[in-house]
Amino acid sequence: MSETAGTPTPDPDATVVVDDVTKQYAVGTTVTALDGVSLSLPRGSYTAIMGPSGSGKSTLLNLVGGLDTPSAGRVTVDGHDVSTADEAERAAIRGTEIGFVFQTFNLMPRLTAVENVALPLVFDGWSRADRRQRARELLESVGLGDRLDHVPSELSGGQRQRVAIARALAPDPALILADEPTGNVDTETGATILDIFEDLHAAGNTILLVTHERHVAEHADRIVHVQDGHIRRIEELGEDTDG
Amino acid sequence: MDSRESLRIAVRSIRAHKLRSALTVIGVVIGIASVITFATFGASVQSEIVGDIGDSSAGNIYVFGTPEDEEGFERAFQPVFTESDVDALREIEGVEAVLPRGIVQVGSVRQGNETLARQQVTATTPASIAPDSIVSGRPFTPGEQEVVVNERMAESFSQNLTAGSTLTLVLPDGEEREVTVTGVVNGTRGELPVSGFARQSRLYAPVDPFYESVVESPSAGVRQRAYPQVTVVADPRQIPETKAAIEAFLAESDARQLSGADTELVARSGSDFVDSVSDVIDQITRFVTGIGVISLVVGAIGIANVMLVSVTERTREIGIMKAVGARNRDVMGVFLIEAGLLGTLGSVLGVPLGLIVGFGATRYAEVGFALALDWMALAVVVGILVGIVAGLYPAWRAARVDPIDALRHE
Repeated sequence: MSETAGTPTPDPDATVVVDDVTKQYAVGTTVTALDGVSLSLPRGSYTAIMGPSGSGKSTLLNLVGGLDTPSAGRVTVDGHDVSTADEAERAAIRGTEIGFVFQTFNLMPRLTAVENVALPLVFDGWSRADRRQRARELLESVGLGDRLDHVPSELSGGQRQRVAIARALAPDPALILADEPTGNVDTETGATILDIFEDLHAAGNTILLVTHERHVAEHADRIVHVQDGHIRRIEELGEDTDG
Repeated sequence: MDSRESLRIAVRSIRAHKLRSALTVIGVVIGIASVITFATFGASVQSEIVGDIGDSSAGNIYVFGTPEDEEGFERAFQPVFTESDVDALREIEGVEAVLPRGIVQVGSVRQGNETLARQQVTATTPASIAPDSIVSGRPFTPGEQEVVVNERMAESFSQNLTAGSTLTLVLPDGEEREVTVTGVVNGTRGELPVSGFARQSRLYAPVDPFYESVVESPSAGVRQRAYPQVTVVADPRQIPETKAAIEAFLAESDARQLSGADTELVARSGSDFVDSVSDVIDQITRFVTGIGVISLVVGAIGIANVMLVSVTERTREIGIMKAVGARNRDVMGVFLIEAGLLGTLGSVLGVPLGLIVGFGATRYAEVGFALALDWMALAVVVGILVGIVAGLYPAWRAARVDPIDALRHE
């Protein structure tokens, strides 16, 4: 455990570098969602962000995920500066460097499992045959080899989340961003999902997981506690049984 | 983004809302079909009429007087062209024949105890009876009580008229004349092109002894027969020159002196008629097709409406696409393709429907069917464009969706 208010020189090799980032929204009055936050995610690290709602953790996730741009400061993902990139560049970064896993799965309702997993590759210009091949392999690796052509409404919550994980992995991203991935599934399924994340971590993937559940966060190497737009403390879990 | 993938997403979306998509497409179908129907019907009528005129009028130059004021339709055919004028016209270079045409009103035509009331006899010369228009018999002989009838007339009596039949013409003053039918024709040379459409029953008789309109010829100083209209048969290769020469002659003709100052004496070639009739039909077709275009606009509004609803419904999907790497223009493409697809479907279904209805209309109007290929191509292109244009604003709205809000969208 160490108190941090911003590392002056972030690790340039880190997969994600958040450097003195401020994010303000003008909703009538100016609301500061993040206030001078710095954080780096080393390659292959597994980080959890915890904080109450309104703490700024979703904003941080959106910035790291290239869905939003900071008001001040810099965010880089695998060397790409997300803060200065234009909309199309950020779309490309999201499509190739970042794999999103959402609480509500966010699968395309009319596309099959294979098509959902292949979707990021569509925007990255893969051929149809290559996309399908890659999607099939990934679905098999998350244990859905027999659900390839099912649409999301034909799948259980856990299966949907596994499709979403396979989709996140499709472009072989530098970073996997998971926003409450177990929030919409039962405890047992949640455990399965977290196992998959641990396998991914073991395979060398960099993971950033946002949760408000301590027992979920404990699967990570370290927990970043966010409150009122600041990082309050970073809790190193060290070499845990799962790490 | 792969446009085939956009297409696949668009097709899925359309199929997911079958009823809604079908109703939207119907709007475009009606628009396209009505444009095609009106355009096809217009083209059919035009080719029919132009064909009629063109066939019958090649080489003809029609000479008649037309008053400049609006009310004088009766006066339009005053008998002003004297025998002297006819002779003078015959001398003009390029003129092959001059066919004077006068009208004799007949109270009724009787065969046995059958009577046809209010018939017109066209008084002309045997040269008007072209050999190739004779169905049976021979032309009338000048000076004889003989007539030629058209097929419609021949069929007007229970016992069809043939060469050798006899008829009784009752003149307006009550005088009765026994005449012999010498032949049946399917038209005459020198008929004004427009008269062919009426397809009325007609009798043709020699000027002598039937036509009695006479005036004093200012040039000859004697009383002569005078005709309301004269048809000049000219060498087809010299129509413009001959027409100019005729117009020059008309300025100094008996007809000029006998006509009021407000009457214009004109020489019109067959192609002049074709042109002016084509112009009129074109204008009507354009106007009516314009009404069809209005329904196409309504169809476009339908597409725009449905696409806007679709964008709202699929906000979350837009967010997902953006989260996994879709650029704004990829999102725009998906919605534009969907809108374009609705327009294309409307065109593809609307064109055959329009052709079927147009074909039915030509059957009903008894004109030959003609395709308006340019309009068909235009309708298809317009249908697709209508879809895309109608989809532009919704697609732009979709592209601008903020992925963060969209992903939170329920």
